[in-house]
Amino acid sequence: MTFAMFRVMALELWRDRGALVMTFLLPPLVFLIFAAVFSGATGEDIKLKLAVADEARTVDSGRLLSALVADADLRADDVGSGEAVRRLVRSGRADAGLIIRADPGLETRPVLIVSDPSRAVAAPLTMARVQQAMGRAMPDVLVARTLAETAPAFGGLTPAQQAVAGRTMDALAKAPPAAESETGLFAREDITGAKKGGGTIAYYAGAVTILFALFSAMQGALSLIDERRSGVADRILAGAAGMGPVINGKFAFLLGQGLLQAIAIFATAQVIYRVPVLAHLPMWLVTTLLVSACAAGLAMAIVTFCKTRDQAQMLSTFVILILAAVGGSMVPRFLMPPWLQTLGWGTPHAWAIEAYQAILWRDGGIGSVYMAWIVLGGVGAAGLFLAHLAARRIR
Amino acid sequence: MTDRPILNVWRAEHQYGPRKVLRGIDLALRPGEIYALLGPNGAGKSTLVGAICGRLKLSGGEIAINGEDPFTTASARASLGLVPQEIALYGHLTVRENLETFGRLAGVKGKGLREAVQRALLLTRTVDREHVPVKQLSGGYKRRVNIGAAIMHRPALLILDEPTVGVDQDAREALDTVIRNLRDTGVSVLIVTHDLEQAGGLADRVGFLREGRKIMEGSPRALIEQAFGEEMEIMVHLTLEPDSAGEILMAGEGLERVGRTSVWSKLDPGGYATAGRLDKRLRKAGLDPREIRVRQPSLQNLFALVADWSRAA
Repeated sequence: MTFAMFRVMALELWRDRGALVMTFLLPPLVFLIFAAVFSGATGEDIKLKLAVADEARTVDSGRLLSALVADADLRADDVGSGEAVRRLVRSGRADAGLIIRADPGLETRPVLIVSDPSRAVAAPLTMARVQQAMGRAMPDVLVARTLAETAPAFGGLTPAQQAVAGRTMDALAKAPPAAESETGLFAREDITGAKKGGGTIAYYAGAVTILFALFSAMQGALSLIDERRSGVADRILAGAAGMGPVINGKFAFLLGQGLLQAIAIFATAQVIYRVPVLAHLPMWLVTTLLVSACAAGLAMAIVTFCKTRDQAQMLSTFVILILAAVGGSMVPRFLMPPWLQTLGWGTPHAWAIEAYQAILWRDGGIGSVYMAWIVLGGVGAAGLFLAHLAARRIR
Repeated sequence: MTDRPILNVWRAEHQYGPRKVLRGIDLALRPGEIYALLGPNGAGKSTLVGAICGRLKLSGGEIAINGEDPFTTASARASLGLVPQEIALYGHLTVRENLETFGRLAGVKGKGLREAVQRALLLTRTVDREHVPVKQLSGGYKRRVNIGAAIMHRPALLILDEPTVGVDQDAREALDTVIRNLRDTGVSVLIVTHDLEQAGGLADRVGFLREGRKIMEGSPRALIEQAFGEEMEIMVHLTLEPDSAGEILMAGEGLERVGRTSVWSKLDPGGYATAGRLDKRLRKAGLDPREIRVRQPSLQNLFALVADWSRAA
């Protein structure tokens, strides 16, 4: 009996080619879009669009302007005047603006950053990028500023020291140190060793998988309401078996559908972004089955408690969006306020994403994912149980 | 045919809050019998069918299918097949796939399933459409498959809820044939319908419900004879719409318009003699009847009479 309902769901989907394409093509497509968007937004590849103007018109201000325009990490344009900078930032055509209003080597606060509060993150990023650019292109100016600020604390420089400093600055101006030389305060070590750039991709592969598993499961579970409306449920309820096999059949189908969607998403991740799915196949498979079961159980429970399609659609949309937003399927959780990150652990999304990242990015073993497995499996089982309970009320 | 009823309803009572919808209904259905349950909206038909299908517990009285309570006993429910008013099928699946699905959901498997599909296709005369998706079928075929899906497990009792909604005359006759075929195999059929013509032509017995009570039961012919005696129905079909004077004349002859048609009718014990005299008077008044027919009163007339009683009460 369970197989009969599984077969109905499969055949209905197979013969509705539009729905079939959307079920299995949309998830990898959305994954690619999310991966492209967020790997740029949370990685090191953010390229701010800057409007720059040199109002000081000194030798060093000209050097800074040239350095910024030439910086490959920025998209900086010389727009001529401070007024033009403000206009471009206000209109949104530049992420931030930069007005060099005095000589960078001599004056206090010579650079004015013009920012739009709706892009607040652009201001500190601009500051960092300007510091970087100055360090690379005009280290002599940075040294001069440092000396000017610190020397008075030591009673000033002697003439001999001033002469040495002058020679050093001349040498730095002629031959700046290599950009990657570790002469500053910081050195850097990436914890994942040889892996480069796949963490965000693994994150979003997991995020889109749980998002679509739940979304498709909700759509599939809505057929239960259609069956009540079309009289199919009346027919089944009038028989000996009741709704039990119907619930189980739909759950099994949604589980399989979620698995196939995940295969489509992670195959894309493996092929295009080299996310090492095949290297972790058993752990990935267990996680994916539990993610799909979780989505199927949750969807079945929600739909069986609703009496009309409108109710179910409204509720499912609300649940999908809230869980996705709080659970990190839309925006990475580490960018959220701490209380929201804590709240996120109340969603299956956070657990699913964490499990996939632990397996695919951090090469974690069962010890790092067992809690996620318990939560995902538990939610799925509880959802299925509640769906059976709710279906018993349908008579 | 044995006389032991397949379905027994004793003093069925039910109420939703303070509103009583069933007030002590008795009903018995013998094997191979077609019984039509008639009555206006709100008479209690759907509640009674729900109770027979085991979907609600009666406030009072008892129901037994093959001697077992369908509310508590799965084997009692396994003895019945329900044909809902809606087309309760999967549109993307073919006729055969639908039959297989509902057969499996009713617990039929393997060779038994294949035989049941073949039997249902034959009984519902849908063999020629077995590989066609249901959504591509005509309304009449869908209705027949709707019945086929309910007989996969060979139920002893088949309940049809408004089986002729939205079907044309030809399709209705085909449905009647299917239902008679099923009756001939020994299945008891309970039809809930507003289609009085179908009920009159098909049912061995009919029962009228009104306000939760069964107010009349028997064979259609016996009930009509009991209610109308020697009266015949005289039907006048006018060529042109009568003016207001003509309408007064028609009313004066005791004729009432049938719905919004150009047909007028009355019941009269005089039969053909009255019809002849009526024809002359109408022609003399310039009303030009296209046709005057005389026939036995039907369940339609009986239903109108019951409705009149209801209004009077």
